[in-house]
Amino acid sequence: MRPELPREFVASHKRRRMMDAVAELTAENGYEATKIADIVRRAAVARKTLYDNFDGKEDLFLSAVNATLMEMREAIEAGCAEADSSPEAAIVAGLEALLEFIAEHPAASKMCMLEAISATPSSARLYDAGMRDCVHLLRTHAPADASLPATIEESLVGGVAWILQLKIRRGEAEDAPVLLPELSQFVLSPYLGVGKVVDTGRRK
Amino acid sequence: MDRLPRGRHGLSPEFVARNQRERLIAGLTEALYEGGYQKTTVSMIGQRAAVSKSDFYKHFESKDECFIAAYDAAVKRIRECVTSACEENQGEAWPRRVGAAIDALLKQLSSSPALASITLVEGLRAGREVYDRYQAALESFVSLLHEGAPAAPQGKKAPEATGEAVVGGIASLLGRRVLAGEAEQLSELFPQILEFTLSAYLGAEQARRIVSAE
Repeated sequence: MRPELPREFVASHKRRRMMDAVAELTAENGYEATKIADIVRRAAVARKTLYDNFDGKEDLFLSAVNATLMEMREAIEAGCAEADSSPEAAIVAGLEALLEFIAEHPAASKMCMLEAISATPSSARLYDAGMRDCVHLLRTHAPADASLPATIEESLVGGVAWILQLKIRRGEAEDAPVLLPELSQFVLSPYLGVGKVVDTGRRK
Repeated sequence: MDRLPRGRHGLSPEFVARNQRERLIAGLTEALYEGGYQKTTVSMIGQRAAVSKSDFYKHFESKDECFIAAYDAAVKRIRECVTSACEENQGEAWPRRVGAAIDALLKQLSSSPALASITLVEGLRAGREVYDRYQAALESFVSLLHEGAPAAPQGKKAPEATGEAVVGGIASLLGRRVLAGEAEQLSELFPQILEFTLSAYLGAEQARRIVSAE
């Protein structure tokens, strides 16, 4: 007789499948065009299961975006923490972790960084909150310099986000890590002197 | 908004049509700023433009189509203002030209919050077709920025991505400020945005020196 998996495990595995399904489908077809029927088919769950766990498409979408943003932030923070020998090293490590996350989770990244902005007002708010978190992260790790413009972190985060959005839109999310040298140069240039080139030797 | 005189104004149908179309575009842009895309209806747009609903549909098939036309018109206005600032400063050194362009951009946006909102905020939220236009608009600003940009110290040109990241970063920052209701104060960000732009090409020290000398 098959041993029974614990109910909570099965339930959370199904939730995961539904969130993965909504990420894949919205990345493929956009939020509008994605229907509940598509989601339950992709996730291989019953319609009832979806409605037991979520209020509907938007609730599922928001949960998936939120979960991915949290995972993204954890990955960045872990990267920064591992390489805290200097602020510059921490920033490069955080960027590297973000790029690797995008390469490993292309659909979920596209969902958060592109679809979320235009899907619903609530998902746009989640995206804005995610950007705010990145600004805060950069402010925390960057070299302290009172003479830098107050908006520098917002500009840098906005610029990185834009480059990543372009890459993802071109269908090259899996290649995101190749952007590390140019993004590191860009993010660090306000903090470095003239002519210094950033060393982005991979830490692994 | 000026309405054409009633009755036989002797103006050509093409002129009237163009006038109506422009008023509808302006009407949508303003209605959008005040209520957001969902709340903006064809009736509201028509009311603001002093154009009847049936005349609206002579120009546009739908609200979406009017939105796209309004978006294109807004980008065109902004690009024209930045391009003329660049042309006026053609003989100047690159940092000065960039400063003039950013100054013109910010003044244009501050004086017209509805324009700032449609291009920097609403444009991102309106789906793929408009996002494509947002992307194209930013790309055109990158070429303007790169004209005459200095070579990096080792004689190597700054990577293409530098310009893209700078323009994307500025657009993102400005969009956030518009969302926060600070569109009218955008021109106050001039020194910070100029320093950010110059430091990506010249390094922080030189950028700061140039900005404080302004």
